[in-house]
Amino acid sequence: MQVINKDTLKIIPVDLFKIPKATFLTEFRYQSIRLGETVYSLRLPIPTLAELNVLINQLKANQKAYLSHLKVAEIIDWIDQAIQCWTNPKCPQRQLAIKLLPVITGYNAETIKLEIKRFIRIFRKKELLRFVDNELNQPEILDDFHPQKSGSLTKAFGPQTIFNVFSGNIPGLQIWPLIMGTLVKAASLGKTSMAEPLLPVLFVQTLAQINPRLADCMAILPWKGGTQSLESVAATQTGATIVYGSDKAVGSIQPLVPSSKPFLHYGYKISFSMIGREALTPEHYPQTIKRAVEDIAVYDQQSCLSTQAIFIERGGSISPLAAAKLIAAELANYQLKRPRAVLTNPEAAAINRTRNQYQLRSLNDSTIQVLASRQNTDWTVVYHAKAGFTNSPLNRFVHIFQIDQLENVPRYLNDYQPYLQSCGMAVDPNRLYSLADRLGEIGIDRICSLGEMTRARPGWHHDGHFNLLDLLHFVDVEPSMEAYAERLDPDVE
Amino acid sequence: MTKTSTEIQNLVLSFIEQFANSNSATQSDPTFNEVALAVFDYQFQNNLPFRKYAQSKRRSPLLVKNWSDIPLMPIQGYKQLTLSTTPITKDEPVFMSSGTTDPSHRSRNYHPSFKVWDASMKFPFKKYVLPDRDQMTILGLFPGADTNPNSSLSRYVSKAVDYFGDSKSRVFINENGMDYQGIVAALQDAETRQYPVMLLGASFSYVHLLDYLQTHDLTFNLPKDSRLFDTGGFKGQSRSVSPQDLFQTIQKTFAIDRDHYINMYGMTEVCSQCYDQNLFDLYHQFPIKYTKQAPAWVRIKILDTNTLQPVPAGQTGLIAYYDLSNWNSCVAILTEDIGIQDKTGFRLLGRVQGAEAKGCSIAVDQLLQVNQR
Repeated sequence: MQVINKDTLKIIPVDLFKIPKATFLTEFRYQSIRLGETVYSLRLPIPTLAELNVLINQLKANQKAYLSHLKVAEIIDWIDQAIQCWTNPKCPQRQLAIKLLPVITGYNAETIKLEIKRFIRIFRKKELLRFVDNELNQPEILDDFHPQKSGSLTKAFGPQTIFNVFSGNIPGLQIWPLIMGTLVKAASLGKTSMAEPLLPVLFVQTLAQINPRLADCMAILPWKGGTQSLESVAATQTGATIVYGSDKAVGSIQPLVPSSKPFLHYGYKISFSMIGREALTPEHYPQTIKRAVEDIAVYDQQSCLSTQAIFIERGGSISPLAAAKLIAAELANYQLKRPRAVLTNPEAAAINRTRNQYQLRSLNDSTIQVLASRQNTDWTVVYHAKAGFTNSPLNRFVHIFQIDQLENVPRYLNDYQPYLQSCGMAVDPNRLYSLADRLGEIGIDRICSLGEMTRARPGWHHDGHFNLLDLLHFVDVEPSMEAYAERLDPDVE
Repeated sequence: MTKTSTEIQNLVLSFIEQFANSNSATQSDPTFNEVALAVFDYQFQNNLPFRKYAQSKRRSPLLVKNWSDIPLMPIQGYKQLTLSTTPITKDEPVFMSSGTTDPSHRSRNYHPSFKVWDASMKFPFKKYVLPDRDQMTILGLFPGADTNPNSSLSRYVSKAVDYFGDSKSRVFINENGMDYQGIVAALQDAETRQYPVMLLGASFSYVHLLDYLQTHDLTFNLPKDSRLFDTGGFKGQSRSVSPQDLFQTIQKTFAIDRDHYINMYGMTEVCSQCYDQNLFDLYHQFPIKYTKQAPAWVRIKILDTNTLQPVPAGQTGLIAYYDLSNWNSCVAILTEDIGIQDKTGFRLLGRVQGAEAKGCSIAVDQLLQVNQR
């Protein structure tokens, strides 16, 4: 039993929600996390329907009174200031996130520290400017009517409010839709997942210190996913719904959204990597192996951006089998450096089941080899000497397929086409675009360098589509109207 | 010296007969160990895929000195490999799983002889299901062996009726479906003439029967000592019902109390069954335990899902099943069932579920589900 010294024990309350001024939540439950002599008392709301209604109305009022009048450039400035805070290691919210997230999510503390630092940087001003520019030719059309090549003058409007359903697989991912919504001047109601309810709250707290009126256009709170009464109110009272997460989450919310309102969802996806022979030269292969392992180990493949299968081309200085063995060794190494999260029974059993399946197959099929950590499920590599494709049970489990030519990869991907997303590559420039072209053809929507798969850029066409455009509606003032109005101007002859 | 197929069957048979009245907890380990090692040696020599698997785990009869070190064949092995110590002959009886997760890929368990299987079924059934009598009226709610020759449960139902059923016993389901009127008539007869009956079926058989009885507003007050037997869960069925809900409905419909409800744990891949102990305790006037007990020729271990090492009592994990009566395939099996054990026995907590991914990432089972739609 731990001895608790009440004199030295420090209790710090942490709210796992953030709501605008003048709104209230009345019922709560509590959880605590103890780190050394400090106890973090986490307060989670149990929102009622009436409270949620009030909350949404307040968000609408705040949006109308403030956010709708800001120019996009001003919004970017305010967000950038909050992000600048987070790039400082002394930022108290960032420090709290780094302390509590490893306990809440089970991910390795080093990984969280490093990834948050990297992740937050993609929202700095220059990146946001690139993002809006990428999505909208003239971002200013969100502020005012601007002339178009067609002759019309056009302005774009976002929804007044957006209901965001966040997933909890990757810490911080929620900030992305939150910022996106704000850029189109929509107030955000964010429902967090209990798997990671903290980071978006901390981010809005930072924003509140810089610009409380802007922060009051956001409400972040958790409730149990599938609570239909709350979700129905949220989906009908807001102007658009965005769901991140499993098909189950999408399926339970989609029917609640009126068909007249935008509904975006980001569901199941599978990513993979391709290593060309040119990356397996004596000069390059050690780095190639390390990069390949990054894509497997960061966040234990819980992100849809993480690789689940690697194609390795024959003809390099080391064989695909040798590369697979090096990847296995590097995974063992990585486990010492940054251990994988502790798994639930179903997760661990899924790994053992899939390992068994391939071990049994390997008895009569010499093209399959299972390389795996002994006595536990820490990491697994299944090597296939015959090219093919399959997905993994996740948590540092990867399939490696030997292939004669990377150009042949697409023929193995057919069955998985609707789920394919990112491809991390290690190839030379002469092949890059022809390979990218073939992958694009069968539906892959993101190609990045090996080792960077889990770190998507904000300008990425997420799952192959625009991010902001799908939320907007446009008003065109046609030339006839412009001319006719001129004629009605009393000051014109 | 490696034994022949006849010798190994006789060895297991004599073990079963010798310890028929004992159980897994009370039977002495050294004797079990001796027979288990002999069976492993026999299988290692005669079941090539099991031998290869054992070798891949660096285990052989020379190295294994304790039954708990015999390599566990994952239950998928019965789907992916042909596991038999004797050459498979034309028309050899084989039990196949219902193929609930992948209909094209079923488990296969071959039976060149049923001598051991029948003995392994008979003694524990008597002990745990009929501790108070030698015969009773058995109303079967699962197709018998004549309808379903490749089902181990069908053979089980038929054998139960053969060995322990009186002249009024019958199986009420065949390829044409369930004979609801027949069941109702049999239950009403038992009620009127006041003799106890046993309903015997798979868990999902009851769901359909209860639906029918509810629609027709039928309930029964079954005579004293009537009992209800079920097995299996609801995997792959059109609808699933929680065991509590099911039991409550059963209680209301048949007037059978908890102590007269018994669940059996068995599977296509093994030749023995484990039972809830409550009926045994009730009729022997012992304090009633609701955990399951295995026969003397079986050992159950609960393994950590991550390390596959045994967990301390009271912790959940995967069930490892060591069964001497599995003489023709593999004596040690790693199931996909989650269980928990204490000194009185074990509880079955269900099939291990496919891992649920937390967000956009997709895990194998979910993908399978998606593809099956």
